[in-house]
Amino acid sequence: MQNVLSILFCLSLFYLAVTSRVKAYVSVLRFQGILLTVLLVFPFINHFSVYAFILPATLFVVKVILIPRYINKIILDLDIKRMIEPSIQPFTFQLLVIFSMIVIFVASNILSKSTSIETIPFASGFSAIAVGIFVIIFRKKLIIHVAGFLVLENGIFLFGTAVASELPMMIEIGTLLDVFVVVFLMGIAMNKISSTLSGFDVTALGRLKD
Amino acid sequence: MIQGIISILIILLLAPMFAGLVNKLKAIFTGRIGAPTIQPYYDLKRLLRKETINADSSSFISAISPVINFVSVVIAAAMLPIGLARPVISFEGDIILFAYVLGLARFFQILAAMDIGSSFEGMGAARETTFAVFAEPIFFFTLGSIAFMSGLTSIYDIYHSIRLDNVTYIIFIIVCSTSAFILAVTECSRMPVDDPNTHLELTMIHEVMILDNSGIDLFLYQYSSYIKLFIYAILETSFFYPFGVKSYTVGIIIFVVVIAVLSITLAVVETITSRFKMKNIPQYLLFATAIGILNLLIYTFTK
Repeated sequence: MQNVLSILFCLSLFYLAVTSRVKAYVSVLRFQGILLTVLLVFPFINHFSVYAFILPATLFVVKVILIPRYINKIILDLDIKRMIEPSIQPFTFQLLVIFSMIVIFVASNILSKSTSIETIPFASGFSAIAVGIFVIIFRKKLIIHVAGFLVLENGIFLFGTAVASELPMMIEIGTLLDVFVVVFLMGIAMNKISSTLSGFDVTALGRLKD
Repeated sequence: MIQGIISILIILLLAPMFAGLVNKLKAIFTGRIGAPTIQPYYDLKRLLRKETINADSSSFISAISPVINFVSVVIAAAMLPIGLARPVISFEGDIILFAYVLGLARFFQILAAMDIGSSFEGMGAARETTFAVFAEPIFFFTLGSIAFMSGLTSIYDIYHSIRLDNVTYIIFIIVCSTSAFILAVTECSRMPVDDPNTHLELTMIHEVMILDNSGIDLFLYQYSSYIKLFIYAILETSFFYPFGVKSYTVGIIIFVVVIAVLSITLAVVETITSRFKMKNIPQYLLFATAIGILNLLIYTFTK
């Protein structure tokens, strides 16, 4: 089951590489949030306890409801255009994603021989980190950078579940809070920037002086 | 053998019906009554009665290519298993022949389009070739991964040797049917890649290549395109055979259900999407190839 969810996660990463709409990024984030929630709930289906459901519930509220809503609100408030404005050809970007994913899968297969990790979730999490970084590097819009950061964070989460079956719950909840605060701060920063800079283009930030 | 002949007859007879069904569903979804489901048969009958005229500038290529196109598609259809029946043509490695027989059909269609000498058809031929280049890897990565999984290279053996105790197969179906669907859409020039109902030469891909054909030639082209669509539908159906108990009833039920679901999916996709820009199509096809590669990776690393 963990494998199936990880593969769906990988498919969402491919979709992220293909799409050119800001809205699609938000829905991919929501989808990944749902996948991670199911991934966390799944081990506890047999022995039900309220305590075990705190983390998935928090994850669901933060990743599926709060963050996508907040990003949508920013998009509406700042009137951000719907295209993502890549800085390289989409086709090249996609090839890059495919090749890095192949390298990561092969590398994690080699790793899994010496350590006790689950290959598929590990590799999917790792590829999410790579794709998140690529999104941040090769897109011009600030809001997409936030989305890329969140994909990266989802990757770290999946990575964590692959390496250790149970992380201490307080740490996970703390990470979630951190992420939410970061997104919140980015939103406020973008609101502030919007009064001085007309576009939300990263290249425009290079012209800033003190 | 007799079962194989029956299954190829099924393909030949039901192929126009499938296209008609998709069109009918599409009409219903857009709020029209639509042509009857058996409309493609009427169209084919009308074409049979008409006279064949070839352009003055065309050579013998234009005369032979409709026939070659039709025959190769029928040969490809003869390699596909329906239910438990062993197809008429089945040997080790027929998976490669299947891909290249369809490639031969396309090659002659492209050649005929360029043979006529109209600039529009040359343009259509160029586009078809460009997208074919990106569609080929999808086929090989998708069917290649299932061939890897079973260790066999004949389409019939591949589908009938997979055991369901392997959990990978369920992941495999999710992943494979997506990429096979994209392949079908591309090869049969359906909506997100090409609009079958368009009437402007500049936006056509597949339709522009048969603009100058008429009569029997057009009949052969149309009929082979219906068969091609049905071939891909059957290819998609085949993924679900390992779920069936080895009995005819279950096989037939799986066949009917998958074909119905597939026609509904095609109709929904064609209703809610518009045609892509030409420059975005390679990207879309690369997406399907990526899915195929992912499939191969999953199989290799969960063994």
